[in-house]
Amino acid sequence: MSEPLSKIPSGMRYYFGQEARLRRAVEDAVVSVFTGWSYEEITTPSVDYYALFERGMGREEAHRAVRFMDGDGRLLALRPDMTSSVARAAATLFAERPRPLRFCYAAPVFRQQPHSHAEWRRESTQLGCELIGPGGAAADMEVLAIAVEVLAKLGLWQHCSITLNSVEVFNGIAEGLALDPAARDEMRRLIDMRDAAELGRFLTPRTSSATERAAFGRLTQLSGKRETLHQARRVITNKRSTNALDELEQLWKMIEALNLTDRFEIDLGDVLELDYYTGLVFRIYISGAGTRVGRGGRYDSLTANFGRTEPAIGFVLDLEALTDVLAKTDSAFAGESNKPNEVVPLACDDEARLLVEATERRRRGERIRIDFASES
Amino acid sequence: MLELTIAVAKGRMQDQALALMERAGIRVDEAALASRRLAVTDASERYRFVFVKPADVPVYVEHGIADCGVVGRDVLLESGADVLQPLDLGISRCRIAVATTHPEIPFSEFGMLRVATKYPNIAAKHFGALGIPVEIIELSGSVELAPVLGLADCIVDLVETGRTLAENGLSIVEEITESTGRLVVNRASYQLKAASVAPLIARLNEAVNEIALEKPSSD
Repeated sequence: MSEPLSKIPSGMRYYFGQEARLRRAVEDAVVSVFTGWSYEEITTPSVDYYALFERGMGREEAHRAVRFMDGDGRLLALRPDMTSSVARAAATLFAERPRPLRFCYAAPVFRQQPHSHAEWRRESTQLGCELIGPGGAAADMEVLAIAVEVLAKLGLWQHCSITLNSVEVFNGIAEGLALDPAARDEMRRLIDMRDAAELGRFLTPRTSSATERAAFGRLTQLSGKRETLHQARRVITNKRSTNALDELEQLWKMIEALNLTDRFEIDLGDVLELDYYTGLVFRIYISGAGTRVGRGGRYDSLTANFGRTEPAIGFVLDLEALTDVLAKTDSAFAGESNKPNEVVPLACDDEARLLVEATERRRRGERIRIDFASES
Repeated sequence: MLELTIAVAKGRMQDQALALMERAGIRVDEAALASRRLAVTDASERYRFVFVKPADVPVYVEHGIADCGVVGRDVLLESGADVLQPLDLGISRCRIAVATTHPEIPFSEFGMLRVATKYPNIAAKHFGALGIPVEIIELSGSVELAPVLGLADCIVDLVETGRTLAENGLSIVEEITESTGRLVVNRASYQLKAASVAPLIARLNEAVNEIALEKPSSD
């Protein structure tokens, strides 16, 4: 029995017409912001060794890659992620270049078995940028400022929320509880799901201190503005976590100075992220999209996999998710991208002359359309 | 003004969920419920309730069509839905258990255990962790019949009182986990509509605590 050729694999789709125009306009707008901040476009191999992604993203995420065998038996993957490959280039190809390195990209990635039933696509386009070399709050803020400018340019600033956290807050707590990797993942999952009830049950055999249990249970609820950090300090006292809280506070001061606090939230319950993040993590949500449309963070140890340890931070936006929201919400940006250009229709019995006129008009930059005689 | 859409699992969960909502100060008109409408608004017109099949609750919430939902933990475990679960509502309490007609035969005697269930993912995960090879037979109802008629060696099902099991000659040999009604929230709504979601969670939490205090401790 053969499949009909009309069938399209699940998770794949077409873009055409108005939607394709909008998608192109979004991509151009976002990339123009990246280049405005001096981020250089980079294209990475679409197919790479699976081991690269397993190292880069962690096993669980890398497992979602579409994998196949190379001629020599080594495992290849359609890239599920851009950052792993960019980090490798930074540590190898560009090892000798002066820092900072600034890279941006607009490229499709491929993943199967989505986390959420709402993320059904197996191909999605990542619009992203990476800043490699500098660490600290100023570098964090540069990348956040780019995200803010992108959202403003798309007319989405008033409809978005960016949540901030540091993975070190959780790491400090997990270290204090001496959790094995499986238990650590389980605790991270429960906090991420904000499941205070199950988290309490999880912690009971692991810590005898009721105060500690209550404190960590609060992690699922701690979100808000600057006061969140003060509340967190009252219940979390280990050195590693408090250092992370200090760093978040420093970043928050910059956000205050830029007058951006309206759309930013500190959310200490946001802990389920790729293994490569080492400090700040952030997620971008937009009204009208049921899932997050962007995420980013600091990954200071990723390049160490390739022989050179250095600070790095970056973020990605999902082009298709942005396009969907803009199309669905009758946004000004979508209206602008759909403005019809004036078309000069050309029709003539003498086909030789017709094409002479067509090429002349094109040279003048006009938009033309040839109407063949048989159509009319 | 409408603030949140809440998907509620139809059936037994629905009545208990609405009773809990009422205790939290969210009233839904009886007449509206009695009608066959699938979406009703509460008295304050801030919340819209939609009533859908239990398995569909996480679907609506994951897609953000509903901001919140009320559904059993059994459904969430089975679907692996990517939703936030901030509150155990303590309603519709039951267990997910393994039951069989021949409790005297240990499962290690089976080279392949045939398991009938409405919860293929939960069952596969449970026996997978135990290293028992299984053939999962997915049924959509009256699961208790399967071992009686010889379709399966055991079942994985939701057990409330255990009466149906007993009447069909089955006994529980293992409890996998407990299930109660949960409040679930869409990830984006949790952030973008925090001003509405956080008070809802707080009010429901108060109501849940009140009920827990009223219940005799022997329960």
